Amino acid sequence: MDVRNSLAAGAYAQARSQISTTPTGQPAGEVFAAAVQSVAGTLQEGEAQARAAMTGGADPHSLVLALAQTELAVETAVTIRDRVVEAYQEILRMPV
Amino acid sequence: MTDFSSALGVAASGMRSQAQRLQHVSENIANADTPGYRRKVAAFEAERGPDAAPGAVRPGPVSLDQRDLPRVFDPGHPMADDSGHYLGSNVDLVVELADAREAQRSYEANLRVFDQLRQMSTSLNELLRR
Repeated sequence: MDVRNSLAAGAYAQARSQISTTPTGQPAGEVFAAAVQSVAGTLQEGEAQARAAMTGGADPHSLVLALAQTELAVETAVTIRDRVVEAYQEILRMPV
Repeated sequence: MTDFSSALGVAASGMRSQAQRLQHVSENIANADTPGYRRKVAAFEAERGPDAAPGAVRPGPVSLDQRDLPRVFDPGHPMADDSGHYLGSNVDLVVELADAREAQRSYEANLRVFDQLRQMSTSLNELLRR
């Protein structure tokens, strides 16, 4: 099971380096879309592991590992979303 | 965060390996009185493969302990030979208990590492949230 590449934080770090080094490179929207997709992939992996563990197909260690990684990814994604929304609202509050 | 993720995988592989070790121990203890049974041992080895986390561990192939089987004197036993002896199992309960305790301790250590990694990553996220 390899879900470490699909963690949001990895994609986020990649996105940050891309944004800071090549401003004219990949647009931020695509980068965020990729990050969200990797989080969704981690979630699906966790759900598949949970289903397999419930039906007796996987050992509990894989389930715990998948759930911990899902928790990590979701926490990171939620935190980043909050920060992005916060920044957006800050811009909206700007007096024109 | 990739460090956290791969370290979680390594800790989980350690727990899985110790669980399987305990499985062999329980098989040995259950068969301590089985005539002709040789105790099973599995040496750990580094996990290899394209999708294996670097540093992960897995139990190697099961091998049988090649020590001599003890000759037990019991003329009434159905497997006894002409001299009244039969071959018992070479399971030593003291060794198995020590092995089980070692597996438990190692499992706990891996579990602590897992828990600590989760705490560390949660703290990092808390820092991001502020």
